[in-house]
Amino acid sequence: MWGYPGPMPRSIWNGTIAFGLMTVPVKLHTATESKTVHFSEVHLDDGARIEHRRFCSREDKEVEYKEVVKGYEVSESTYVVLDKEEIAAAAGDRGHVIDVEHFVDAGEIDPVFYEKTYYLGAGKDGAEPYRLLHDALDATGRAGIGRFTFHDREYLAAVRAVDGVLVLHTLRFVDELVPGADVDVPEPSRGPGRREVEMARRLIDTLHEDFRPDGYEDEYRQAVLDVIERKAAGEEIAPSEEPEAGDQDDLMAMLEASLGGARKGGR
Amino acid sequence: MARSLWTGSISFGLVNVPVALYSAVRDLDVHFRQLHGKDGAPIDTRRFCSEEDKEVPFEAVGHGYELDSGEQVVLTDQDLAAAAPRKTRTIDIEGFVDLDDVDPIYFDHPYFLAPVGEAEGNLRAYRLLVEVMASTDRAALGRFVMRTKEYLVLVRVRDDRLALTTMRFHDEVRPAKDVDTGGRKPAKKQLDAAKALVEALGTDWDPSRYEDCYRKRLLDVIERKRKGRKITVAEPERADTGPPPDIMAALRESLERARSGKGFDRDEEGDGDGGSREELEDLSRDELYERAQEADVPGRSSMSRDELVKALSE
Repeated sequence: MWGYPGPMPRSIWNGTIAFGLMTVPVKLHTATESKTVHFSEVHLDDGARIEHRRFCSREDKEVEYKEVVKGYEVSESTYVVLDKEEIAAAAGDRGHVIDVEHFVDAGEIDPVFYEKTYYLGAGKDGAEPYRLLHDALDATGRAGIGRFTFHDREYLAAVRAVDGVLVLHTLRFVDELVPGADVDVPEPSRGPGRREVEMARRLIDTLHEDFRPDGYEDEYRQAVLDVIERKAAGEEIAPSEEPEAGDQDDLMAMLEASLGGARKGGR
Repeated sequence: MARSLWTGSISFGLVNVPVALYSAVRDLDVHFRQLHGKDGAPIDTRRFCSEEDKEVPFEAVGHGYELDSGEQVVLTDQDLAAAAPRKTRTIDIEGFVDLDDVDPIYFDHPYFLAPVGEAEGNLRAYRLLVEVMASTDRAALGRFVMRTKEYLVLVRVRDDRLALTTMRFHDEVRPAKDVDTGGRKPAKKQLDAAKALVEALGTDWDPSRYEDCYRKRLLDVIERKRKGRKITVAEPERADTGPPPDIMAALRESLERARSGKGFDRDEEGDGDGGSREELEDLSRDELYERAQEADVPGRSSMSRDELVKALSE
């Protein structure tokens, strides 16, 4: 990278945000990375690496990668074979343009639509329009909704201003979301009473806290790393146990006890 | 109803409600199967031990982790299960936060929670959580373990049900400090014009107006291929350009067009809605009519096949 002060995460896509007749050259950077402890598959008997080999299901013979094609099953065991170029033909190449169709109130987008987040940095000659778009979005609280093509597929995206940076979220399409009506929730014969609602509301108030993202560590990740370390030291790993939940026969008593505990605990 | 991905209970103070977890997202992606090019038979993947050159059954596969020293530690499924630091069958609510304080960058996968069983007490406790949480702008913050990973989750109400969203941990979000965030603060006149343009292009968020065109096109390509037609790759609709030479002029002109409803005819050929003429020629009248309905072509019901192609390619 030339001319940037300090290290800069490598950009994964360069292009232009377009809205109206305005164009803003931008670079896309990854904003999130999974820190899940990653394992490789090994053979338990000898600790050797596991290889995945491709076999033709008809001939029962190993097949080289270059002999593999991609097929879409149109009916039971009938496939339409497409090559790479034919699949790419569907990408809807918009060039390297994030085409913002309109701007919506960012707070209106339900969290379920957000998929993956990227940072946008100013691209070549883009410093001035970048700042302008950022400040305009920041001042209006709006997000630009548009489409762009990335890795041979088209995405719906929202562009927002967050703490001085433009971010791009890929969005889920509405038909990818399961409507609540598809999830059965049987009704109780008698709904919760007013006192129960009141009590539960007080419990929520008592447990209210500010959201501080760095206040929550991935304890499981640490526990996995601990088990790895113990196993490396030759320790036996014992399984853990846990209890089952019963029916709530006295909801009111539970709420009262919780409220008492929450107050004493000072949370 | 789809199969539940996890069952356990959500615990809120001392109230414990047995629940099942369902994905709130369905996979509509077009999936391809690997086939053997020669005979079109599906490819199976088999696990082989790289040392012995022998097939290995799934039960004999463990989890290898390479230490910094280069030494490898092998864990079994049981070893990993023991790492679960807490009860794995409970979603423990630790506190309630304002939903607006949680930046969407933390959101990962959405789910629904439904009560398990018909026990009156559980159904009532579930209903209580829904009623109370629907009446606040707060979401419950909690943790739970599913399969081999612990998640930080937000629980709130959506569509009259408890909705759970897994979240990224703070160290899984990269700092933005090295991203180039542009130049000086813009001049007030420019910022005012940009704000006015953003507002002029403003609309209500209506997710149903966006459909997955990629999925549609891919299924189209598959259909055309099935019928033995040739697939051609379209040229990019628009070229990548630099910034406008005169920002203020671009803003003013945009604003004027947005306000007069003139629109921005930026595409060089057609608007891409109907598709290229060549592509349209391949479709049947019914298929063309369907597209004409989508594009709201006037007088479509009385048009011939050729007329539909002409109307759609314009």
